[in-house]
Amino acid sequence: MSEAVIELEKVSKTYGSGSAETKAVSEVSMTVEHGGWVAIMGPSGHGKSTLLQLIGGLDRPSDGRIVVDGTELATLGATELAALRARRIGFVFQFFNLLPHLTALENIEIALWLGGTKNTNGRAMDLLERFGLGDKARHLPGMLSGGQQQRVAIARALANDPGILLMDEPTGNLDSASEGDLLTLLSDLNAAGKTLLMVTHNPVVAQCAHRVLHVKDGRIVSDARNREH
Amino acid sequence: MNLWTLVWRNLLRRRGRFVFTLAGISMGMAAFVALMTIGQGLTKEIKKQAQGLGANLVVTPKGWCAYEQISVLTGEQLPEAIPMPELEKIRGVAGVKSAIPYLNEKTAFRNQPVPVIGVWPEEMRTLQKWAIESGRYFNSPVERAVVVGSAIAKQFKLQPGDTFTVRGEPLPVIGVLREAGTKNDIATFIPLPLAQQIYGVQDKVSFIAVQVTDLERMEAVSLKIQEVANVAVVSDKQLLASVLSIVGTVGTAMQAVAAVGVLAAAFGIVNTLLTAVYERRREIGILQAIGSTRRTLFLAFMFESGLYGLLGGILGTAIGGLSAYLFGPYLTDNAFTASLRQAPMPTLDNGTVLLALGFSVCLALLAGLYPAYRAARLSPVEAMRYV
Repeated sequence: MSEAVIELEKVSKTYGSGSAETKAVSEVSMTVEHGGWVAIMGPSGHGKSTLLQLIGGLDRPSDGRIVVDGTELATLGATELAALRARRIGFVFQFFNLLPHLTALENIEIALWLGGTKNTNGRAMDLLERFGLGDKARHLPGMLSGGQQQRVAIARALANDPGILLMDEPTGNLDSASEGDLLTLLSDLNAAGKTLLMVTHNPVVAQCAHRVLHVKDGRIVSDARNREH
Repeated sequence: MNLWTLVWRNLLRRRGRFVFTLAGISMGMAAFVALMTIGQGLTKEIKKQAQGLGANLVVTPKGWCAYEQISVLTGEQLPEAIPMPELEKIRGVAGVKSAIPYLNEKTAFRNQPVPVIGVWPEEMRTLQKWAIESGRYFNSPVERAVVVGSAIAKQFKLQPGDTFTVRGEPLPVIGVLREAGTKNDIATFIPLPLAQQIYGVQDKVSFIAVQVTDLERMEAVSLKIQEVANVAVVSDKQLLASVLSIVGTVGTAMQAVAAVGVLAAAFGIVNTLLTAVYERRREIGILQAIGSTRRTLFLAFMFESGLYGLLGGILGTAIGGLSAYLFGPYLTDNAFTASLRQAPMPTLDNGTVLLALGFSVCLALLAGLYPAYRAARLSPVEAMRYV
């Protein structure tokens, strides 16, 4: 059995207090092995994205313990969490979330710069070329198609060569052709050793993952391994 | 990619807002720099005029107001109020090296007002160390002739041999004084008795410039003069201090108004940056997700603010310096300073430039503190809601 790179132990997240208290995540325990590909499914507003934010250190749990890549997140300060996100975790979002005033190349460069890389230009260009977007380097995100923007977003997430990719509906805004391309790309990344954890509503996309977790009311209600994996 | 690239790109995203915010701080700084430069130029010039007086003590009629005292320096027309017998008493005081009377009047020449000063020719020449540029000086203390200052000669194209009219009395121009850089350049001089006759003020003068034999005893001489004659005495230093105090007060008040303008512009920066923080919440969330620290976000907004201050300071200093150069002489053209129009233009010195830039950048950085703090304290999850 591979070593776990993501471990959650009775993790809860509560917003508000008293009568306005909402439990977004409720005593979730789970592990994701190194090189694994896990899809999280479930209805909207049942805590999938919150779970991803907690694992990515964007928010802190109200209760429980999260260990990412061997580091317990509760022991890290804001700056150390930022460093973890810069170098060891890559985020990919449904709406691509590229910075609109920076070119495709600069969007990747900024991630490299935040990760502490000095020669950002060369490495960013390499990444763009690897994703077939070398000729789009000087294009602003608004000049790219949805599929191209998502590839830039993935290139940005991979800029500092993190071991883990956290993805929130990565195919949610893509047409079926782009979705197919993206799944192939994710498959290649996974084959190269990246651990993928993605939230999705799409059963076809979830089918590509090794495991599918179903979340309801902030709890994991099922954890199934896909047959073909 | 570095922080500056990010800041610069952010700054230029909303070009209209960038330009108007920059215009605000630039205009405020321009007014501040212009007023400071003009004030400095004026102070410098007044000091020079005071030195040009060549006297240690100035004897004035009792009860003169500050305006009249200043007029001694600026060469304005003055009331003829000291009787000649008082002059004789003053000349008799021990410790008085020389006591030279001035009758400050004005005439209209070719429809322009021109100062006419009645003097004792030889005493004035010695006191002022005058040199003649062309023509000659007075031959006698009662010669019916006029010697003109260099700027007046230039302005009216006067040469020795021309005629200058004093209150309808045609007088030959016999000489032109060498340029001295003082109010004497923009005045005309005639012997005192002639001036008294033309202006019908027999036996009276405007003020008396006194030189003392021993500077250590200046205070005692001053007291003695006031004892023997019915006059008031001010030292050249007191006179200068009094003028500078008025000019300084006016200057400080104007600079304070300009500083309020800069302060208002600083609030413009706060407003612009707060709007930017609000607009960029989503991007702040993205930056946090891809590893930006709070410090980086804070610095990005502080640099943006500082750039407004630096660019606004540079532009404002340039505009202010140019305005002072172009409009300074007109702004200072008032009753106090009429004769300083011929003064050298206000010039921007390094100290003023550094002070203005420092003030602008510091104020902008102060203005940026709150927006930068807001950006840095934005919770990633809060920001991610806009993702």
